[in-house]
Amino acid sequence: MRSEQKIREDLRSFVLAKAADREGAAITDQTPLFEERYLRSVHLPELLLLLERLSGTPIDVEDLNPADFRDIDSMVLRFCKAGATP
Amino acid sequence: MSTSPVPKARLAEALSSLGPTVSRLSHLSQRSYQNPYTELAAWPQQVRPEEEWFSSPEYLSLYGTQDWERLDEASRCRLAFHEAANFYSLNIHGEKSLMQGLAERLYRKDLLDVSEYLHHFLDEENKHSIYFGAFCTRYSRVYRSRQFSFEESHDSRSRDIEDFLFFAKTMVFEEIVDNYNWVQSRDSRLHPVARFINHNHHFEESRHLIFGRRLVTALWEACAPSWGEQTVQELRDYLRGYLTMAWREYYNPDVYADAGLEDPWETAERAWSAPAQREHRREVSKKVVGFLTSTGILDKEPADAF
Repeated sequence: MRSEQKIREDLRSFVLAKAADREGAAITDQTPLFEERYLRSVHLPELLLLLERLSGTPIDVEDLNPADFRDIDSMVLRFCKAGATP
Repeated sequence: MSTSPVPKARLAEALSSLGPTVSRLSHLSQRSYQNPYTELAAWPQQVRPEEEWFSSPEYLSLYGTQDWERLDEASRCRLAFHEAANFYSLNIHGEKSLMQGLAERLYRKDLLDVSEYLHHFLDEENKHSIYFGAFCTRYSRVYRSRQFSFEESHDSRSRDIEDFLFFAKTMVFEEIVDNYNWVQSRDSRLHPVARFINHNHHFEESRHLIFGRRLVTALWEACAPSWGEQTVQELRDYLRGYLTMAWREYYNPDVYADAGLEDPWETAERAWSAPAQREHRREVSKKVVGFLTSTGILDKEPADAF
């Protein structure tokens, strides 16, 4: 697994790339990404692939809920910490 | 997405204009009505994934990449087998959502004019899934999908937007799949079972594609003028994102792992970004993107997908 800092950087880059049309888009690791529409449901499969790649572990979509993807902090905690439960 | 109400008469008129098409397609569906179990009985119990081709090599997700150059013939053949199972799996997942959406719309009052054909559509999609499922469960496995959704619920969108997105997404998905079916149904290198599945799907999907294009155009022309610029832009963004999402499933790390490749997620990332693969996606998508831009549904091509 990559370092937590690198994981956060990669997740921020992904979000900003998907929100490229938003002028002056700026996010923190606590920005609610779907609520504020930086991301949409069509981005989820790509996001899941990225999280799998960053954590080196498959993620089962049947075990997921919206809170897992609320913001970057939530994703790191859920999928990319040692002992996380993908 | 907020909208003004679509005048019912305009939508009804647009749908009733499909009448002759619906009758013709329904007649063709009745004429080619199938029993899939007859065909399945003739399929072999076992296949040889490292000796027989199940996908056209030029349509594999690693074709034209450095990873492809490193594979020997048996490894390429094995990859082609697992990618065939992945292709059939993504069809199973796509058709599952499609069948749910078709069943929801069957005999809805404002869609009565197309209900006759919705029955055939539903029946044929179910039979396709029987073939896809039989291949995957008999010879390989059903690969998981990474598609799921927890926002943009049906409650937050108007019904005409839901209808438009449902049929537009169906059309995009089927147009891409159909290109693979058409090429692989004619590829004499492929195992007869693979050729049959691709040929049969292409044969029946050609009717669904005609229906899809007519219906999507009718819905767009009837509804878009009352949707407003912001909603139209959001729909365009969504459809561009959908095309990217649909393509992403062709680059499945689970397949690379089954084919014995190291570091499957990195392999998927390299393949997705490889110039040859980007060009492949652009070429295969050319027809559907051309349709979407010529009708004004899209105002620019989905750059993320290519």
